[in-house]
Amino acid sequence: MDDTATKIVEILKKHMKEPRDDIGLETALADLKIESIDLAMIVFELEDTFGIEIPYNANDTDEAAAFKSVGSVVERVKQVIASTSAASAKA
Amino acid sequence: MKSGTKDRRRVVVTGMGAVTPIGINAETMWASMRAGACGVKPIENFPLEDLYIKIAGEIRDFDPAKHVSSRKIQYGDRYSWFAGRAAEEAWTQSGLANPYPEPYRAASIIGSGAGGFSTIENAYKDLFVHHKKATNPLTLLRIIGSSASAHVGIEYGIKGPTFATCSACSTATHAIGIGLDYIRNGVVDVAVTGASEAVLTYGSMRVWQAMRVLSPDGCFPFSKRRNGTVLGEGAGILVLEDLEHAKARGANILAEIVGYGVSSDSKDMVNPDVEGPRSAMQMALDDAGITAGEVAYLNAHGTATTLNDANETNAIKMVFGEHASKLAISSTKSMTGHLLGAGGAVEAIACIKAMADGFAPPTINLTDPDPKCDLDYVPNVGREMPIKYAMSNSFAFGGLNAVLLFGAPPA
Repeated sequence: MDDTATKIVEILKKHMKEPRDDIGLETALADLKIESIDLAMIVFELEDTFGIEIPYNANDTDEAAAFKSVGSVVERVKQVIASTSAASAKA
Repeated sequence: MKSGTKDRRRVVVTGMGAVTPIGINAETMWASMRAGACGVKPIENFPLEDLYIKIAGEIRDFDPAKHVSSRKIQYGDRYSWFAGRAAEEAWTQSGLANPYPEPYRAASIIGSGAGGFSTIENAYKDLFVHHKKATNPLTLLRIIGSSASAHVGIEYGIKGPTFATCSACSTATHAIGIGLDYIRNGVVDVAVTGASEAVLTYGSMRVWQAMRVLSPDGCFPFSKRRNGTVLGEGAGILVLEDLEHAKARGANILAEIVGYGVSSDSKDMVNPDVEGPRSAMQMALDDAGITAGEVAYLNAHGTATTLNDANETNAIKMVFGEHASKLAISSTKSMTGHLLGAGGAVEAIACIKAMADGFAPPTINLTDPDPKCDLDYVPNVGREMPIKYAMSNSFAFGGLNAVLLFGAPPA
């Protein structure tokens, strides 16, 4: 796991009732017993940590799919970081 | 047991007032609902700044100097303006004297989910951004969530119980339910009840955005397309009265409130449970002493969140059984947006109008129904139909459920 992924796993662990050490990219968020309100908190902390804005909507199935597994969260965050820096490079 | 056979007084509605994104009086609102008009539009009342949710059910061009006659209420928060305006309409329609001649026999129970939100925001901006030396001297009175109930009590000379309810999206329904109980039990003869909400501000939108439950493109209850709720603002007020009291003065009776059910999920702050809504609907039926089959129209909570609409559908099926598929159900939030605390009162008015007109208002924006929501939601176009009893559901964050059941004016 790279730096971004490690940071994300730390954030996930902070929001778990019983943090585990066996979290990999393939781990499903459902298996971590993360509920919808935890997810809102996690997204908030991801935004704060990486200085990005993720238009996450708990009602949007496409967006929720990006929050299915640890790996998909990492992908989504990297994608937003890339588009954010591309946008600021243009500005 | 039929309503009225219990050892308690019967309660009727003799006045109604509404301030909504689709009309700032009950008649206009209802005409808009009949026509399937949509009040959800791009936000215009304040600068969007960096918001990515850019739509809401706003009330445009509301001018307190023009729309509210009380000077005192004109000095209040926007949420008190809406309450004052709706109360004025309702009280005038009831024909009750002002000031009320038996002041201790009347109650003013007007709730708000958030009170003077825009006042807080502006005061804090003055302090923390503009570094002003003081806030406006009326700031505190504008903020407090009971100021609308106090204002209205003062306006009509009400000296009985006067306070606000606060239960998020069930606020108005709880207020009406408490007024109903007070009159049934002889505490008062008349109660001005309902709620008002005015939280469409930049700061509030940011707070809601962070909850991740708002739709960026519209309110689509029960649709496969639904992707969150849309905030709205406004107020709804009902004047409730003891049936005999109303009859004695020859009042025009608009409807009877025959049942009230109230429960809490006691589970989760955001995820609704099926048992709480089910029990509240069942309690309302039991309270009225009618069978599920007698209810023709149900105004759903129908917020257009993924969770609510599926959960509410399941709860309706549990209560109504085979009759569930014959019930005309609609979410008028598709037209008004979600008026939060005020929603239940506006939706109560929709139920009463629906009974009076024999017309079920539609759920608009419903072209692509969700298979998980497989009941009759009166899609897109309203429907002429006789309505003997109408039910109104309110389910709030925290799992706070309140349900009202309305019947035609007693013969």
